[in-house]
Amino acid sequence: MDPLTPRQDASRDVTPLMQELRLTPDPFAGSLSEPTAVVEPGELRHVALHLKSRGFMLMDSVGIDYLSYPQPRPKRFAVLHNIYHPYDHRRIFLRVWLDDGQPLDSLSPVWRAAHYLEREVYDLIGVEFTDHPDLRKILTPDDLEGHPLRKDFPIGESPTLFREGRFLDPAAFRAGLSGQDGGLTGWRGSLRRGSVRDMVPPVMPEGGPK
Amino acid sequence: MTTLPQTPGPRQTASTEKPTEGALLHTEMLSLNVGPQHPSTHGVLRLVVDMDGERVSRVVVHMGYLHTGFEKTFEHRTYQQGVTYAPRTDYLHSFGHELAWVLGVEKLLGAQVPERAQVIRVILHELGRIHSHLVFVGTGLLDLGALTPLFYTFREKESCQDIFEAISGYRMNQGYFRVGGLSKDAPDGWEQMVARFCDQQERGIQEYLNLFGQNPIFLDRATDIGIISAEEAIDLGLTGPNLRASGVPLDHRKNNPYSGYENYDFEVITTQKGDCLDRFRIRILEIEQSIKIIRQALARLRPGPVKDPNRKISLPPRPELETSMEAVIHHFKLVTEGFHPPLGEVYVPVETCRGEVGYYVVSDGGSMPYRVKIRSPSFVNVQALEYACVGAQFADLITILATIDPVLGDVDR
Repeated sequence: MDPLTPRQDASRDVTPLMQELRLTPDPFAGSLSEPTAVVEPGELRHVALHLKSRGFMLMDSVGIDYLSYPQPRPKRFAVLHNIYHPYDHRRIFLRVWLDDGQPLDSLSPVWRAAHYLEREVYDLIGVEFTDHPDLRKILTPDDLEGHPLRKDFPIGESPTLFREGRFLDPAAFRAGLSGQDGGLTGWRGSLRRGSVRDMVPPVMPEGGPK
Repeated sequence: MTTLPQTPGPRQTASTEKPTEGALLHTEMLSLNVGPQHPSTHGVLRLVVDMDGERVSRVVVHMGYLHTGFEKTFEHRTYQQGVTYAPRTDYLHSFGHELAWVLGVEKLLGAQVPERAQVIRVILHELGRIHSHLVFVGTGLLDLGALTPLFYTFREKESCQDIFEAISGYRMNQGYFRVGGLSKDAPDGWEQMVARFCDQQERGIQEYLNLFGQNPIFLDRATDIGIISAEEAIDLGLTGPNLRASGVPLDHRKNNPYSGYENYDFEVITTQKGDCLDRFRIRILEIEQSIKIIRQALARLRPGPVKDPNRKISLPPRPELETSMEAVIHHFKLVTEGFHPPLGEVYVPVETCRGEVGYYVVSDGGSMPYRVKIRSPSFVNVQALEYACVGAQFADLITILATIDPVLGDVDR
């Protein structure tokens, strides 16, 4: 049997459930996706309460920034809640489309599992959740500004700015890696401080490789 | 209360008037910092515990010390390179994360994994589970003050790592699975090595149980401590052994079989009470079930290919590069650029030793994923601390933390 073919199991079909809750299937969900329903931001908690009363649990919350996605999407951000039934094993994703800065109802009053999961989405994607009991950063350092999993978060050549003016300069960083310079980390630290004269020639000679 | 020896401090010498006894006797909530470099936090987890006397009234968890932005890094690496990062999330059960990653990408690509590769994946997945559970039993008992069991469980853990080293070259963070199969075939004699390990592990379990199974201190410290009911466990999003210890028989190997798990005969172990003792017991029993699965898998192991023959997915065999221009082109394209899965979003859940692991992969048609979200069980399970520790004594907090078994790489990613 091909293990990747989805198993045809009627008891796991969530179509009746989606009809009962009047959920619209996600038009962008391909044949490979799990069953996904699009929910309006205002209705999310209502739908979640219904699902909770039927015994579903919240497995995960996924925040996605579609800023540079090749196909047009209705809005920039999507929050997907991965919801699973631990006894009859139905799985449904609830997708909410959001604009930048648009808050979303927290699911913390419904499932306690949402507490950390939403904090993570807030930290990494920057979606604000209303009625969340403790919406703080959870994974990134306190002095990091911005939300790293946004597609416009500066990486690579752009310096990463921290509060208080600390920043990573990519050119200096690379120079450190190639041995031209002590660089940011200053791993030839005693040399840079001037206690020893630097007798080691730079790895790359002036004017590029011969 | 024992009286502490009096040492003349600066406060006593500075005060001209000796304070009355009543002024010294007052109660206040004590905030105690645990970690991040505390041995019983199994990594770098910091807890701020509000204590009323010896009772814990509130736990605030601070995490992120190991956050290295795996999800962002995945977006800038090809799909095949992602195999390097996946095992580093949960370094005790690396094969679980590797498997979740490659299964997700294989679903996107429609890759066909040969039978032999699937059986070897099952063996390694189960060995990884045993490996992690052995660390759990050893270090968990170490946290309770029992030093000896660690040396017994780590004996088998080292044998486990020898097997990993024999097949992949690495004792930890193997990165051995490939999208479409395995990086290379198992060496000669590897099956016998695994078979010997199964016998050794079975004897080992008896030894562990003889060591601590009836130990009154262990039983006192674990029984009825940190009870999580089934409803609460579901509400908190617990998965894996922590959920099954509360009596919910959710196991994706049984309920959403992957890599041919539907062909294996094993039991899903559940216990009813959901206390720390149950969480210890369930892992010991799961090691037995894993041995059972490995033995069945060894019986199913037949010679054959270990990679998808599709040249657009797997690297061509090395000798072919010397005779075939197409092979050189395929090799070059796969190494420099990788493959381009179609647009789509997939999620494949996998049961690791800590619970449900799944990679939500969004493909934009390019050679690198557009977005990867790791559903890491430890991150969600750690929330149970804030619930289960309230009202417990401080020493019990260590027991509860040990039995919830988070791996901080998996929490912080």
